[in-house]
Amino acid sequence: MSNIAIKVENLYKSFGKGDTLVEVIKDASFTIDKGELVALVAPSGAGKTTLLMMIGCVDTPNSGQMWIGDEKVYDNKWLTKETRKLRREKIGFIFQAHYLIPFLNIIDNLTLLPQSNGTNDKVSKAKARELLKYLDIADKEKAMPSQLSGGQNQRVAIARALANNPQIILADEPTAALDIHRSVDVLKMLKKIALEQNVAIIMVTHDDRMLPYCDRVMEIENMGVVFKDSK
Amino acid sequence: MISLAKEDIRHTLGKFIVTAMGVGMLLGIVLIMMGVYRGMISDAEVLLNDLNVDLWVVQDDTLGPFAEASRVHEDLKYTLKSIQAIDKCEAITFQNLQLPLANRKLAVLAIGYDVYGEINPINYNRLIEGTVLQNDHYEIVVSDKTGYKLSDKIKLGRNSYKVVGITHGTVASGGDPLVYISLKDAQELQFTYTNKRIQTDRARGIINKDTHLVNAIIATLKAGYNVDIVAQEIQKWHHKNVYTKVQQKVVLTRNVVEKASKQIGLFTVILIAVATIIIALIIYTMTLEKMKEISIMKLIGLPNSMIIKMIVEETLLLGVLAFIFGNIFAHLIYGKFPKNVVLELNDAWLLFGIVVIASIFASFIGVKKVINADPTVAIGG
Ligand SMILES: Nc1ncnc2c1ncn2[C@@H]1O[C@H](COP(=O)(O)OP(=O)(O)OP(=O)(O)O)[C@@H](O)[C@H]1O
Ligand SMILES: [Mg+2]
Repeated sequence: MSNIAIKVENLYKSFGKGDTLVEVIKDASFTIDKGELVALVAPSGAGKTTLLMMIGCVDTPNSGQMWIGDEKVYDNKWLTKETRKLRREKIGFIFQAHYLIPFLNIIDNLTLLPQSNGTNDKVSKAKARELLKYLDIADKEKAMPSQLSGGQNQRVAIARALANNPQIILADEPTAALDIHRSVDVLKMLKKIALEQNVAIIMVTHDDRMLPYCDRVMEIENMGVVFKDSK
Repeated sequence: MISLAKEDIRHTLGKFIVTAMGVGMLLGIVLIMMGVYRGMISDAEVLLNDLNVDLWVVQDDTLGPFAEASRVHEDLKYTLKSIQAIDKCEAITFQNLQLPLANRKLAVLAIGYDVYGEINPINYNRLIEGTVLQNDHYEIVVSDKTGYKLSDKIKLGRNSYKVVGITHGTVASGGDPLVYISLKDAQELQFTYTNKRIQTDRARGIINKDTHLVNAIIATLKAGYNVDIVAQEIQKWHHKNVYTKVQQKVVLTRNVVEKASKQIGLFTVILIAVATIIIALIIYTMTLEKMKEISIMKLIGLPNSMIIKMIVEETLLLGVLAFIFGNIFAHLIYGKFPKNVVLELNDAWLLFGIVVIASIFASFIGVKKVINADPTVAIGG
């Protein structure tokens, strides 16, 4: 087993065709290792979300190659019919808003995905409780999302992204809705998670103050990907 | 395993129950409609079953008094009596009367029978007060629905009749209450003209004294004779139409209540279609309300099957709950209808089957929405 979490080669993505053709990513190639926290920075509309959704096997690239861990998942086409199974088993998502399921309580929000993967009730609940404790919200497991604060819900959302033991966590502006203190808390938490759980995290951010907490900074330049020093 | 349907419904329980009650009322009306149909059929057969005779001999080329005017001579009964196969045989009249009430008139069907005869059309099980007719003049037995009490006097034609008995549940095929009078009184009411009419008729040279007419002769057979064969024989030799009890039942359901039941059937079908469309619309809006959650579930990797299961379970639960409310509603109100409403368990089960199938059909529209949902819409692309 190598230490590579994500490998991308010659990825190309455009929307529409003819007069309405919009090229977003022309030629992106990079690798990200397990345990790394990488910031993704670029102006609005540069294609950050688009790139994240392709790595997350949600959006389909036009061409290129992609690996998740040692498994090649894309070679000018998806190599599996069920990209959703890839997401369910290997990827965790965090967004600007928490996007928890409003009619499920906190613990059910965390166990939903693992249970759909076949993990039994007991094991998935134990794992969820462990995560809630890890993120310091253990006392809220029976609460509904509407009863929690924004920061608490964002922590639950992070816990959910971890609940299926993913190899990659993709976070699209997870701190945009939080104040600077909470943002830094979340960053420290993500860094800790990357190291302790040995997952690769790509985090989109517009906030330069977050960059020092990241291992590397990835930018989209000329429709390609370049790495800058984070310090 | 988490049940998404259960948790979602729990989250919006009040709304869900109110919705189910609304659909339930609609299904309740469907049940009532079915009950009205059943009531009509059972009403239509009350008289036929109470008489419980084997043969109906009626005017040539007619369907008999249940369906149209039929006149035969009373003395036909003596001819028929002489037939080997015939056991009991009596003449009977049917006539529509307007019974005077305090401030209005009530339409009833009067049955005239020979008080001293061998066949009594009054079913003793339905007699709740008083007796059957004792004398062949100026006595009447009425259905409790008429509102008359024992010993009340009712003016009919030229004479006043005394109520000697009250029956319950006795109705004609059209739902009108039944009353019973003697054959002689019935013939007088039906076939005797007023003095004035007799005078003018005489002036025209018309002398019609024949009041010994009845509407049908009814008969029972001795054991060992085949009803159909005897019926054919009488038909052949006496130029009358003869119906067996089974054939009369067919006349009643086919010729008398058929249009009404078709009308009700059509109403029922339309109501069921409306209920299905309403359930489908409710499920569609319920799905639309959850579109954001559904696309998130798809995005994080939840399989379609789990989401579809939620939609289908919710639809089925809505259908079943509405069905239960519908039954409660129907049982609460069916007694308030003027005509007989008979709620049958089999009809309820039939409706249950239809509701389940309709719910599954209705959920397709929500399921299609789920399958087509774009997982990235929730996060805004
Ligand atoms: N489904 C789509 N159809 C057509 N064009 C699209 C679609 N999704 C994204 N785009 C285009 O691709 C480009 C990149 O969009 P993307 O959402 O990835 O930007 P972003 O870097 O995430 O921006 P922001 O910082 O504002 O979130 C934009 O020009 C956008 O208009
Ligand atoms: Mg974006």
